[in-house]
Amino acid sequence: MSAAGPHGPSAAVHQFIPTLNPRDATGTHALLLRDILRAAGWRSEIFAEAIHDDLAAEAHKHWRYPEYAARGDVHIYQFSTSSAVAGYLADRAEPLIVNFHNFTGPEHFAGWEPHTEQRALRARAELARLAPRTSLGLADSHYNERALRQAGYRRTTVAPVLVDYARVRAAPDRRVAAELARAKGRGGSDILFVGRIVPSKRQHDLVKALWAYRRLYDPDARLHLVGGTSSFAYLKALRGFVGELGLTDSVRITGDVSDAALSAYFAAADVYLSLSAHEGFGVPLVESMVAGVPVVTRAAGAVVETVGDAALRLAGTDPLYVAATLRRVCTDATLRRWLVEAGRRRVPALSLDAVGPQFVRAVATVAGSAR
Amino acid sequence: MGKADQAQSAVADPAAEADARAYVARVMAEIEEEVRLHRSSGDLPPKLERELDELFLAHSPVAGRGGDLTEALRMVDAATFVDPVVPIASERAAGMVVKKGMRTLLLWYVGWITHQVSQFASAVSRTLHIVDGRLQQLERQVDAQRVASAGVVEFPGVHQADAWWVGPAVEAVRSVPGRIVHAASGDGWLVRKIIAAGGDAYGVDPRSEPVDQGVLTVSDLRGEELADHLRAVVPAGLGAIVLSGVVDGMSSGERAQLLRLIGTTLAPDGVLVVHSLSRSAWESADAPSEADLAPGRPLRAETWRHLLAQGGYKATVAHGPGDTDYLVSAVRATVSPAEPTLPQ
Repeated sequence: MSAAGPHGPSAAVHQFIPTLNPRDATGTHALLLRDILRAAGWRSEIFAEAIHDDLAAEAHKHWRYPEYAARGDVHIYQFSTSSAVAGYLADRAEPLIVNFHNFTGPEHFAGWEPHTEQRALRARAELARLAPRTSLGLADSHYNERALRQAGYRRTTVAPVLVDYARVRAAPDRRVAAELARAKGRGGSDILFVGRIVPSKRQHDLVKALWAYRRLYDPDARLHLVGGTSSFAYLKALRGFVGELGLTDSVRITGDVSDAALSAYFAAADVYLSLSAHEGFGVPLVESMVAGVPVVTRAAGAVVETVGDAALRLAGTDPLYVAATLRRVCTDATLRRWLVEAGRRRVPALSLDAVGPQFVRAVATVAGSAR
Repeated sequence: MGKADQAQSAVADPAAEADARAYVARVMAEIEEEVRLHRSSGDLPPKLERELDELFLAHSPVAGRGGDLTEALRMVDAATFVDPVVPIASERAAGMVVKKGMRTLLLWYVGWITHQVSQFASAVSRTLHIVDGRLQQLERQVDAQRVASAGVVEFPGVHQADAWWVGPAVEAVRSVPGRIVHAASGDGWLVRKIIAAGGDAYGVDPRSEPVDQGVLTVSDLRGEELADHLRAVVPAGLGAIVLSGVVDGMSSGERAQLLRLIGTTLAPDGVLVVHSLSRSAWESADAPSEADLAPGRPLRAETWRHLLAQGGYKATVAHGPGDTDYLVSAVRATVSPAEPTLPQ
């Protein structure tokens, strides 16, 4: 890519984002990207429709942008859901880069969360609306890039999501670690999944797999579902299902946890299992590799691109098949070692050091060189 | 040194990478074999997974069950009775005693309320069953008169880049101001031609297979129905519309609806190009079976000219060799005579 863009040199590359949250993949990405843009020589601020209290000093409300606007500004929109920011940017004239993280399609929420289903439909329309005035579509996977092309984006490129994977190496929360160690002392494998409790992540398929795995191989196995929810209907159904299968003591639904607690869960996990039906990237898959946890995952969405050959990839969610795969990973030391090593080799390609310069090069094609 | 150890020692070079892939493939094959053995021994038969799914769905909201009305009604029936006897289980012994005490104290009040709610829910349920019965009756009547929507019907040798009509079609649209849409675009064969001639083209096709193939080489292909796409386009937002394999088998109602949408989305002085099979080609013995199953038949070229003139287009017609097909190129007048004028 050339460093001089069609709009000439620019002094400021500002980001817009629907919601700036801590411990949220898109929020973390925006904060890291801001630092990278600043280090590359651009002025850079974040503007958001909603800002978490903990990050109030890091961003401004999007409607306050005119107070900061200057000639030659370039905008990056972190697109991950429907937001008033999309309409705001559609009506402005600054060169726009859409950094697309994908959004879960409405079909995954149909019948569960009508409000979220409508929001996903709006997101689809907003993505198409921004296409004609976008200078560059920047997707965090080729899977997402295809979605951009389908929505009418003509100039696109790929750069993985920016993640500071160090958080999974934080000192583990002592209370959580002790609790997990006590349970492990009674025997049985620990299976981990990290992600919001929503229909598209298919946590009920994980419960089915656990049920089969306990019945056939490991009656003391446990499943840890780490992450908050944005679908209370699904969470309620999941709890009911777990109870009906008699797995209340074996399935732990933790809700949102701190970095230290997350680190404790990764440290105790024997295997990371994902049967998600849709992933635009899959940050926890990479976090598992960083933490040295073998990964078994359904090959859905962008998952294959993210894990490469460093995971056992499943075509479906058949509980027997998943159980047999779990058993193999949990009992075959050679395979475990191979998966862990393959994961560690995969991580550098997705690290900040590798991905940061890709963003600088991509932004420069629109904004021109910073210095 | 085991196979896995070899694989992990040097995965950077292609040979080691191939080794690693072979190792994973062998592991997966062994897992598959184990699954097969379990299946043949009767452990976890496939129907068990269905039973697990049903068990899960029993906890989902009504609409989470695929929209089946009978199932939804069964859920409404099951939820009609509102139980005033609240569960009192608690992790702490004292909690259970407190809850039991509160339940006893409040039962007269809660019971009175829940009785009325149950009565209301029963009335709603009965009403829904009556509506369901009438809907089923209507569905049966409508089903017998349903007209299927015409799909894309493509003839071999006709819908391809070297067909006689492709050159004139590209020539008719290549210099229009605004974007050019081709439907049904397939893998983008005509879009590529128009772009090569200098036009700003993209494609629309409801068939996912050719779109998925074409999207790798053509920058802009949309996997959707043409009518749905046109509804989403801003008024007067298109410079030209090229139709091939789309209108031939349409019913008259569907065709009229499409023409209305085209009238809204095509810019003044925009160009509409329609490629159609002739009746004789459509009825020939080697026509694809989709042609037989389509609800409509191709119009004659003169009928298109007449229809488009009514809509304010100036149309010219070119016939293909052997009278198998024809091409209508029409320029939209700035003000359509068919559009009513506002009273002064």
